[in-house]
Amino acid sequence: MIQSFDPRMNRLGLPDAPVTAATKTALDQFGTYEVFHQKKDGAPYVYVGPVHAPEADVAFLFAKEQFSRRFACTGMWVVPTAAITVTDYVGDQESAYDFLPLLPKSVAPAPGNADDTAGEAAAYAAGEEDYDIFHLKKRGKAHQHVGKVRASSPAAALQVAKAVFGEQRPVVNVWTTRSADVLRSDEEDRDIWSTTPEKKYRDAISYKVQDRIEKFKAENK
Amino acid sequence: MYGSASTHDLPTTATTGLENEDPILLAEFEARIARGEKIEPGDWMPALYRKQLTRMIEQHAHSEIIGSLPEGTWITRAPGFRRKMAQMAKVQDEVGHAQLLYSAAETLGKTREQMLIDLINGKSKYSNVFNYPTPTWADSNVISWLIDAGAIVNQLANAKGSYGPYCRALDRICAEEAFHLKYGHDAVVHMATGTPIQRAMMQAALNRWWPAIMTFFGPSDKMSVHTEILMRWKVKMASNDECRNQFLDMYVPKIWEIGLTLPDEKLAKNEETGRWEFTEPDWEDFKRVINGDGPCNAERIAVRRAAEENGAWVRRALLTPKTQYVRPLA
Ligand SMILES: [Fe+2]
Ligand SMILES: [Fe+2]
Ligand SMILES: [Fe+2]
Repeated sequence: MIQSFDPRMNRLGLPDAPVTAATKTALDQFGTYEVFHQKKDGAPYVYVGPVHAPEADVAFLFAKEQFSRRFACTGMWVVPTAAITVTDYVGDQESAYDFLPLLPKSVAPAPGNADDTAGEAAAYAAGEEDYDIFHLKKRGKAHQHVGKVRASSPAAALQVAKAVFGEQRPVVNVWTTRSADVLRSDEEDRDIWSTTPEKKYRDAISYKVQDRIEKFKAENK
Repeated sequence: MYGSASTHDLPTTATTGLENEDPILLAEFEARIARGEKIEPGDWMPALYRKQLTRMIEQHAHSEIIGSLPEGTWITRAPGFRRKMAQMAKVQDEVGHAQLLYSAAETLGKTREQMLIDLINGKSKYSNVFNYPTPTWADSNVISWLIDAGAIVNQLANAKGSYGPYCRALDRICAEEAFHLKYGHDAVVHMATGTPIQRAMMQAALNRWWPAIMTFFGPSDKMSVHTEILMRWKVKMASNDECRNQFLDMYVPKIWEIGLTLPDEKLAKNEETGRWEFTEPDWEDFKRVINGDGPCNAERIAVRRAAEENGAWVRRALLTPKTQYVRPLA
């Protein structure tokens, strides 16, 4: 049995050498969700990283723990990785929109017009949906939400996004996802983000070590 | 770590496999890195780049999760409520670092299941310093301050590397390390400037840990195999000796200023060369320990394995049939 300095380890009665090699079944670590957060009110949602989780609500909990534990934020979105459509990555001076596969003219959608409520209702009735669009401005940085478009498929959403946001440069990479696939934090639950400030023991500035060092030096000249 | 402390098993030029790569794609890849652009998961990359980065980020992730054990063991016995809370917060950060890093490695194609299996079956390495025990609270403090300080030297260098997902993870990690460093320094200073018993306990812990700390950045450059190509690809960002020297420059004065000593009579800075001189660490012993024969290797792996196995039924119960796996995006 393994002997540890930690009595809790000893209580586990761990064997010195395992008899068999460990194995894991597929999906033992679940699938992944991509997480975006909003740093402060009005700021765009920015990509922070993935989490592994069995479903969206749990993904949200894990994401909150992982990405808002130390960095204040005012909102969070989680999206199943498989629900995101990704363009090719292009160079830091280029636009990914210039490299989209061309749709046949007849199916290339026109950008949704926000004022046209009748047309909008008809489009939704015909099966169009909202898509969220995210841009990566520079390799190594994080994707940022730029807005929504209405379209009938991810490929069509990218074409609409090109018409609406294509002027922005550079755009190294674009992500799009059905808005319905995004789990968003609720405005009503805002108070879940306000737990950080009281935990001073987690901040570097609350350790006034220099005072103690100076005192020690003065006493031990 | 904690970065690149185990790049002792790098390939020699004979096994790079570069001759099998498409020369045009390879030239574009190298030009992108030379321009200072990052590589992202959707890009073409040489097999050797993928392999070395996977290994390096995976080892870094393992080091975070195994590294949380020697400090985690002190949470229940930390002196005072505030220190318990702080120690717990630090340990939680380290586990969070592992999560970030496993995901970054996963974008290169290796599943998290496989990485965890390789760790608990002893196939993967992690930072060798965590194969040593923390018999007292002061030992835990030495890790919090000096091992994290070493880790930061590595991580700041690696954050300038070429792989986007690793850089993003390291940026978050480095931001949290600021707290670890201050917390650790505070804990050490508290003991070193405390009662004679506290002071003696801290000195003893420092004496125990110093040889391991001197090996933290890996074997000296003169012993390391060829790493030129990994430097060019910005996989390895600084040599072991450069990192070690930078660490000594930053922290030895801080150790001495609180009246602690270091168990190496040769340790001194050569003001002419700007390099620290010291007794060469026992690299044979380092090899022996990293290959499994250290005081805590078996315990670390066994604890990790028990945690994996004891949690398996919970994960099985949570798994929904519609789950499909795709690699994380970035
Ligand atoms: Fe860490
Ligand atoms: Fe650490
Ligand atoms: Fe740390």
